[in-house]
Amino acid sequence: MRRALSRAIPPLALALPVAASAASAPADLPPYTQAYQPQGTDERGLWMLADEDERNLRDSKFVINDPALQAYVGGVLCRAVGEDRCRGVRIYLVRVASFNANMAPNGTMQLWSGLLLRVRSEAELAAVLGHEFAHFELRHSLAGFRQRRSATDIAAWASFLGQYGPAIQQTAIGSIFQFNREQEKQADLLSLKYAIQSPYSAQAASHIWQRLMGEADATALGRKQRSQRYDRVAFFATHPTNLDRATYLSTLSADVAVKPEAAESYSTALAKWLPEFLSDQLKLNDFGGTEYLLASLAGEHWTAPLLFARAELYRQRGNPRDLVAAADFYRSALGADPDMADAWRGLGLCLMRDRQQVEGTVALKNYIRLRPQAADISMLHAMIGE
Amino acid sequence: MAIRIASFLVIICAALSAQPLIAGNALMPAGTSVAVAKSTLTVTPEREWNRLSARPGRNSETWTLDGDDLNGVNFYSIETARALFREVSKRTKPLPRFSSTMLLTDIPALLENSYRIALGTTLFSMTNIEPVPFLGAKGVRFSYSFRKQMEDVSRNGEAVGAIVNGRLYLMSFDAPAILYFDRDVATFRQIVSSARLESLPMAARR
Repeated sequence: MRRALSRAIPPLALALPVAASAASAPADLPPYTQAYQPQGTDERGLWMLADEDERNLRDSKFVINDPALQAYVGGVLCRAVGEDRCRGVRIYLVRVASFNANMAPNGTMQLWSGLLLRVRSEAELAAVLGHEFAHFELRHSLAGFRQRRSATDIAAWASFLGQYGPAIQQTAIGSIFQFNREQEKQADLLSLKYAIQSPYSAQAASHIWQRLMGEADATALGRKQRSQRYDRVAFFATHPTNLDRATYLSTLSADVAVKPEAAESYSTALAKWLPEFLSDQLKLNDFGGTEYLLASLAGEHWTAPLLFARAELYRQRGNPRDLVAAADFYRSALGADPDMADAWRGLGLCLMRDRQQVEGTVALKNYIRLRPQAADISMLHAMIGE
Repeated sequence: MAIRIASFLVIICAALSAQPLIAGNALMPAGTSVAVAKSTLTVTPEREWNRLSARPGRNSETWTLDGDDLNGVNFYSIETARALFREVSKRTKPLPRFSSTMLLTDIPALLENSYRIALGTTLFSMTNIEPVPFLGAKGVRFSYSFRKQMEDVSRNGEAVGAIVNGRLYLMSFDAPAILYFDRDVATFRQIVSSARLESLPMAARR
């Protein structure tokens, strides 16, 4: 029991990230070394599971098959953490419409499309990639696995301890989640170190968390729910609060020299996928959050794909006033790009739902002319009475 | 003593094994008209189907031949401001609501968005949308293919729906693209062709 406790406490006491070897690493070599072999039973077991998961992931249809985008993201990672480190990582871009990324102990990195949609510059992407890489370099999966094992041992033993048992159990289980939060903070701080050495702005990391809080508030408002509190850590929270992260990241990066964000090159690289990722987001039935996201993507300048997305969002909600707004947005999108077939379709259906049959027919005819092979073509022919 | 315990165990086992009989799945006989989805919508299947006791939502029900993941038919009768089926989480994953002012082209989108949210998937595509008369009104028939989140099984679906007196009547059939969809879609189409709206609700489901 005492041994179990003492095994659990040292990692908890780690306040600041130090060199990789200090994080109770079983070997001296960092895990990103070329042809690194896992050391010890625990690490070998974790890598075996991670290898199996990676084989399944590689063949999944959810992985985005775009070598150019893949190479671009890989390039950002290499500039973020350095050429020697990034070779130990395989990146998988996965089509899931939420903000997330994760890193397996064997160097498998997953980035979800919802994250690519929300990140606005190479510097922000580099911050996320650096954070995930820091988990890998610090062997957090291994440390976490061992800590969980100790803590659950403690919880099991504590059930025999009569009146003090529940308190110890609660402390042990709480320590799992606190340990997770501690790891997240370590990864944040190490990734800030990478950022300081990289060509990218170190301030970018805190911007992401600020915008995520804004989006979550907008989602809650749109659903008529109370917004989350960001200043309180829940007992079961695995991550520091977004407010906490935004605050310490911006404080620590305040003195660092200002470097480029590289926002234009990022939006160019993502341009091909933007309509697809926007379409995934639009279908999530999240009016408030999507409206916030579109406004933050647009900034000062609403491009045709963003105007189209906003129009679709309003048409979906479908209140009479929404249909009026949607028609305006479709017309603005068509003003920027008159050959945008989907905008003609949206405008036509929007007007028809608003009982403007004649104008709607004209717009739908434009769609039919531009997309004679579309999947819904016979339905639209019927709607315009042909 | 040992015999007593053994007979006691037999009684317990018998009590436990009787559970599924109480559960309320039912056999739908061939050639008999039956009201579905707690509504006046009636269908007459030409072959036997199983009706599951678990409903997807308030005014809906599921029939299947081999299990609803292999060949499931869903019947919906949805009034305005209601979702197609029960939400996984009302707070974090609310589903879009049907509105009686929707156009026929909004029905495929309603089903697509509900599936995307409930199944947590981004792989869903409409392959065909066409007009078709249904329940004596203008209706829409559409085909789609999808996968559940991080699952390798490719699934196909077909659905037919119409809005009658402000209420959405919808029937859908989902099955894996391999074997099941092609084998069983004809029996689904037969059910669709037998669909009628009765003027009065038929005998309530027991």
